[in-house]
Amino acid sequence: MSDEMLFSLNNITKSFVKGRENISVFDNLNMTINKGDFLAIMGPSGSGKTTLLNMLGGVDQPTSGEITFDGGRVDTLSESQLAGWRANNIGFIFQFYNLMPMLNAARNVELPLLLTHLNKTQRQKSVETALELVGLADRAKHMPSELSGGQQQRVAIARAVVSDPKLLLCDEPTGDLDRQTADEILEMLQLLNREFGKTIIMVTHDPSAAKFAQRTLHLDKGEFVEKDLVA
Amino acid sequence: MNDLYLIFKNLTRKKLRFFLTCFAIFIAFLLFGAVMALKGALDSGIEMSADNRLVTVHKTNFTQPLPYAYVNKVKNIEGVKDVTHANWFGGYQGDPTRNQIITFAVDPESYLDVYSELSTEPQHKQNWLKNRAGALVGERLAQANNWKVGDQIPISSNIFSHKDGGQTWEFIIEGIFSAEDKQTDTNYMIFHYKYFMETQSWGGDYVGWLVLTTTDAGFNEAVAKRIDEGFTNSQAETDTSTEKAFNKAFIEQMGNIGLIIFSVIFMAFFTILVLVGNTMVLAIRERTGEIAVLKTLGFPSLRIFKMVIMESLFLSFAGGLLGIAAAYLAVAGLSEMLARFLPNLILGAEIIIQALIYMTLLGLVTGIIPAINALRLNIITGFSRG
Amino acid sequence: MGQIISQSFAVIAMNLRSIPRRIWMSLAMVFASAVVVAILLAFLAMVKGFETTLSSAGSNDVAIFMRGGSGAELNSTVTREQVNLLEVAPALFKIDDKPVLSAELYVIVDGIKKTTQTEANIPLRGLDIDGTKLRSGFQLIEGRMFEPGTNELIVGAGILREFDGFDLNQEVRFGKYSWKVVGVFSTGGNVFESELWSDAKVIQSLYNRGSSFQSVRAKMDSPASLTELQTYIENEPRLNLDVKAESAYFAEQGSSLSYMAIFGRVISMIMALGAIAGALNTMYTSVADRSREIATLRAIGFSNISAFIGTIIEALVLAALGGVIGALAAYLLFDGLHASTLGGSFTQVVFSFRLSTELFIQGLNMALMIGLISGFFPAWRAAKMPVMVAFQNGH
Repeated sequence: MSDEMLFSLNNITKSFVKGRENISVFDNLNMTINKGDFLAIMGPSGSGKTTLLNMLGGVDQPTSGEITFDGGRVDTLSESQLAGWRANNIGFIFQFYNLMPMLNAARNVELPLLLTHLNKTQRQKSVETALELVGLADRAKHMPSELSGGQQQRVAIARAVVSDPKLLLCDEPTGDLDRQTADEILEMLQLLNREFGKTIIMVTHDPSAAKFAQRTLHLDKGEFVEKDLVA
Repeated sequence: MNDLYLIFKNLTRKKLRFFLTCFAIFIAFLLFGAVMALKGALDSGIEMSADNRLVTVHKTNFTQPLPYAYVNKVKNIEGVKDVTHANWFGGYQGDPTRNQIITFAVDPESYLDVYSELSTEPQHKQNWLKNRAGALVGERLAQANNWKVGDQIPISSNIFSHKDGGQTWEFIIEGIFSAEDKQTDTNYMIFHYKYFMETQSWGGDYVGWLVLTTTDAGFNEAVAKRIDEGFTNSQAETDTSTEKAFNKAFIEQMGNIGLIIFSVIFMAFFTILVLVGNTMVLAIRERTGEIAVLKTLGFPSLRIFKMVIMESLFLSFAGGLLGIAAAYLAVAGLSEMLARFLPNLILGAEIIIQALIYMTLLGLVTGIIPAINALRLNIITGFSRG
Repeated sequence: MGQIISQSFAVIAMNLRSIPRRIWMSLAMVFASAVVVAILLAFLAMVKGFETTLSSAGSNDVAIFMRGGSGAELNSTVTREQVNLLEVAPALFKIDDKPVLSAELYVIVDGIKKTTQTEANIPLRGLDIDGTKLRSGFQLIEGRMFEPGTNELIVGAGILREFDGFDLNQEVRFGKYSWKVVGVFSTGGNVFESELWSDAKVIQSLYNRGSSFQSVRAKMDSPASLTELQTYIENEPRLNLDVKAESAYFAEQGSSLSYMAIFGRVISMIMALGAIAGALNTMYTSVADRSREIATLRAIGFSNISAFIGTIIEALVLAALGGVIGALAAYLLFDGLHASTLGGSFTQVVFSFRLSTELFIQGLNMALMIGLISGFFPAWRAAKMPVMVAFQNGH
């Protein structure tokens, strides 16, 4: 684990116009995330944790402020540039897995590779590796509907790592799973963090999930509150 | 896996809906193919008319006869190449209303000169020219009735009486004429004018109408004017027009069939467009969440836009190609059944090309709204809706 | 039983109220059904109008004589001698000891159709003044009768409407000869209004017909006199003629557009298949959209029959709504629309599209058939919806 900085957010403000009201989510938010971090972000509904995750993932932009990732500005990218940036740098893991129902496990995993220049054989090799990593090599041909929730989430993890991104963003990855399965998934994330050096940011409201992270940030009303280690 | 695979999987994820939508498109193009072929058959007289061929008829109406002497007078007019003439015989076999046999009494040699697109075996042609009681039968008419060269066929007239009594003439088929272009009308037979005049009980020497060719299509108008002016104030004034104009006017007598057919096709298409368009919008809306995921994974919006358009194009072509193929088979089958009424029923390359264009348009039009929706979809709202 | 009915009503009401949620799919189904019905009715109204125009022209007690085997006036010839023999035929209705009889012929002349500005065939009929008495409903609506022996003609209201150049007092030229329009006549909308009438003798002399005619019409004592006339003709070798009641003659001619009815039916049946495919999509969507509601109702004790009935009624309502709209559209667009086509005499028959109640019912039946088929299978699915669905979460 190095202390090299991966993400830095400087003076971020974010507000929405809802009806006639201007709702401010963040006002002057600052944070940094180092390479190799496994960071949990906790907070009640409406605390802004989803908005933060969206901005980190490049699916939403701040109203003002700077976001730098690996030395480059993210907040100035156009929508199509952002799409490319996401494809190259970020792996997403969602609460409800979000697998394509009409594709089998292997093809779901292969999906992000369609955005790379890998040829068919290379893509298949990567898919096999990723599925082996999550322990589902024998389910490659199964459709999502034929898999349990935990298995589906593992396919989703394989999909997130298959293109070898630097950062994994997890949005309530265990929110739809039972305790035991949830722990398996979280252990897998730990493994990815430790053995493969993936930086992981996980949004959760479950304290026992947050325990698997190296550190936890608590977000409340758009600000980080001191409860644990603070950046 | 590639984008095509994704498109295909999206298209067929709800098999029943895919099938039903394809079927609706199938029906649209089946109708399109069949009705266009029908229109083509009705219009074939216009399409197939030669550029430099003119028709001279009695000014009162084309059913009024012209004096025989006009043939030679017209022959001597400047710009006229060949002249022939024909009389309507009113032929039928068996039931006069059901089994009409289109029969003309013509001047044999000049007829084949003027209708140069008709060909027949040289030996048969010679035999026919020599045999005054012989008939030359069009290929389609012969096929429809199973006639062969050498057959003796009784043809009755609903107008004329044979001078030996009765209304039936016995003809020997001396040859069969055909044309290279399948849409050329060969659903009729011709026999010697002289023989007709000698054997019918009324006698007289008049002809039904004249058909002539000009030395150059550019002279058509001048020649027509010269002919009609030559007969002004004579016992039978004439009206000369191009074969194309004459045939067109005749078809329009049936009523505005073209308009009826156009309206039917238009309504059918519009209906299918609405049905398919609706289904596509619905299908894409159901996938809002998935499209948001694809975008999150980094699929560029334009690529998703293209995938949606491709999907509706595939849908359109899947149904459309089957439909036009079915129309092709149906027309081929009907063409034999209806050979007697609609001799020129053919679904040609032109119709297929038009159909392909319409399939493309249908695909683009039905895909464009859902594709734009997908293009514009904001990832965040996409998730909240999914 | 009563319970099934009340349950079904509850489900029907619920289904219909939820239609706004899937309004576009539902409208598409209504639209498809409307188009199919409108197309069907357009064709049928055309054929019906044509048939009526011809069949209403023929009377039961008028006999029409034509050359044996000629089938239509166009091909027929009747000599002066034959006309003389017919004048003394038995069983003819007489006024002052003279039969009401008209020997007629026509030449086909060119008129310019208003719609297309192209030449089309119209009949210039030569008849006896008695001929006007043989057309029931004959009435001069403008001008006067033609003067026998002159180049005067009267024009049918249909010709006046559909063709250029036949206005009252206008000179018309057919080939070499010029005619004057002195009157406009009506025969109550039937086929005779698609004709020009003049003196038979003038036409014989101007158009080289010698003393020959094409047909003879005569009033009979009663419709039953036809057999007597037939016997008379058979026993007189000089009368190589066929005799028919005029009504029978026109009924035959009226069927010449029946292929259009067949064409219309085939086209609309094929289109109905396409509409059914679309409507099935709508109804399956409807069932999927309401699956949780259906399952919930089932869970609290509603029968699956009510789910079935509710769905099928929804389909019937949508399709019938389309049927009514289609029929109304057809009525507004086509009823009374004037058209003309080539009839059995090789001349133009001017007629109007006619949409009768019977045709309306045929149109509605078509719509209900679309509704029934497109409702049945989705209703089946609704009836078999597992109650479990009610307890599953939305994902």
